[in-house]
Amino acid sequence: MITLANVRKIFNQARPNEYTAVDGVSLQLEEHDVTVFKGPSGSGKTTLLSLVGCMARPTSGRIHLLGREITSLPERFLTEIRRKTFGFIFQQFHLIKGISVLDNVMLPAYPCGERLSVLKERALHLLDLFNVSQKAHTRVEWLSGGEAQRVAIARALINGPSIIIADEPTAHLDSMHSHELVEILRGLKNDRKTILIASHDPIIYDSDIVDKVVHLRDGKVDEGDTGPRTRGHLQLLKGR
Amino acid sequence: MIFHPAIIALCVASLFICLMIAYSAYYGIKIVKGWDIKSGSEQQLVLERRTYLISAILTYVFGFYLISLFLYVFTVDRLHIVFTGAMCAAGVLKVNSYGYPTLLLKIMIFIFAGLWLIVNYADNRAYDYPIIKTKYLLLLILTPLVITEMILQAGYFLQMHPNIITSCCGSLFSEGKSSLTSELASLPVVPMEVAFYLSMLLTVYLGISFHRKGEKGYLFSVTVAIAFLISLVSIISFISVYYYELPTHHCPFCILQKEYGYIGYFLYVALLGGAVSGMGVGVLMPFRNIESLTGIIPSTQRKLALIAVVFFLIFTALVTYRIVFSNLVLVS
Repeated sequence: MITLANVRKIFNQARPNEYTAVDGVSLQLEEHDVTVFKGPSGSGKTTLLSLVGCMARPTSGRIHLLGREITSLPERFLTEIRRKTFGFIFQQFHLIKGISVLDNVMLPAYPCGERLSVLKERALHLLDLFNVSQKAHTRVEWLSGGEAQRVAIARALINGPSIIIADEPTAHLDSMHSHELVEILRGLKNDRKTILIASHDPIIYDSDIVDKVVHLRDGKVDEGDTGPRTRGHLQLLKGR
Repeated sequence: MIFHPAIIALCVASLFICLMIAYSAYYGIKIVKGWDIKSGSEQQLVLERRTYLISAILTYVFGFYLISLFLYVFTVDRLHIVFTGAMCAAGVLKVNSYGYPTLLLKIMIFIFAGLWLIVNYADNRAYDYPIIKTKYLLLLILTPLVITEMILQAGYFLQMHPNIITSCCGSLFSEGKSSLTSELASLPVVPMEVAFYLSMLLTVYLGISFHRKGEKGYLFSVTVAIAFLISLVSIISFISVYYYELPTHHCPFCILQKEYGYIGYFLYVALLGGAVSGMGVGVLMPFRNIESLTGIIPSTQRKLALIAVVFFLIFTALVTYRIVFSNLVLVS
């Protein structure tokens, strides 16, 4: 379970260009659920995901991950959590050009010191799972958008994370590939992964795999436009 | 004041250290007063982020401090050619009333800074900053000492005039006078040698025992502190005499000179290194049962005990070698 308690994130604090990206968000996200953060551009979706994913620290508030408070953790512990607990799928894919698909997938696992043969086998298995194994030795710049997305997902799963964070995963995909992505996410959900997605694509948030939609606006949770299950959780938190 | 490059380096470095420590102490006060890990307030999160910077600053500052003690002694020793009457650092430290207090304070801060670095090392390895308040309380105790030391050192160098006629070490550390140094030089050799070897034997035994079983940490630490003091006295009482092969010369500074192969630096590094590592075991004892430190402190203490044992063995080996192969025979 992931719990956010009054989380705020302010950029450029006390400067003329101060900007509050997340403003007092309190939420409770269940394990093994698919949660979509929906909202217009600038509503704080990406910032909120980066806070949950330990890629940034909040200005105030606390985040608990599986009962453990993570916002106060020293950097070396955050690195470990990022590496073992989260798998990240980025809007721009962020695949590293100049190296092969296989190397890209294996890259996040190198610091773990696993045997290369074991790692390679697992990476090839993941590429096979997402039907891109035939491109394993191809450079990533030669991939199509859909293939790049599937490679990015394979890379996110290489360390066996329990939580998948996807930021606008369909932003660069056509409808066919977006539906394909939903099917991949369904498979991950069936594997009991917790999935957090920031998206304003109806293909994603209207999908039947989604358990909860959290609507964000101006850095706050918009309760009026939030699914019934989420509203219940908000009331539960407020009641405490 | 004498414009020697090392003097300027020491003064500038001390000023820089004081500024850094004052800055760290400012946040130390905030942490001691306002730290609450359970709070998610903005102030708490700012302190959490700030503590990384402070910890990094202090690691470098105290790291430099460990070196600065030897730079101070080296500089003072080099200056003996400037002063009439001075033969080594002993005479140069005597040119005004600030020299010896500065040295004593530097040794004290060396030990405290070393212990602070050990506590900081342990605290930084836990996920919940379990000893952060203790760590910064120690810093707040250390800060006035560091500032006083900077003032004393500045006073010492500023009032250092080349026309001063000072005493030589032969006069300062000679037997039969009523000063503390003379009394230390006059201590009987055989009981001092027995005390020295017994203290070393006990330290090594307890250190190895702690390394194996992790027991009697406080006893080991106290023994290390006593062995450190006995060793310092022993250097004046009989160790230096064997190095000079002159029964009346007890100076603890001449051994730092080239004529004696700079052996003094090896002796003092081994002694201070052993003292800090060994006392570090005791300093960590109260925190070893804290949940987030149970997997960190015992292993750190074992390493520290081993380091202390190695340092004290090196010190004892250097001393014993000299006693055995010296042309001087004090005990037949």
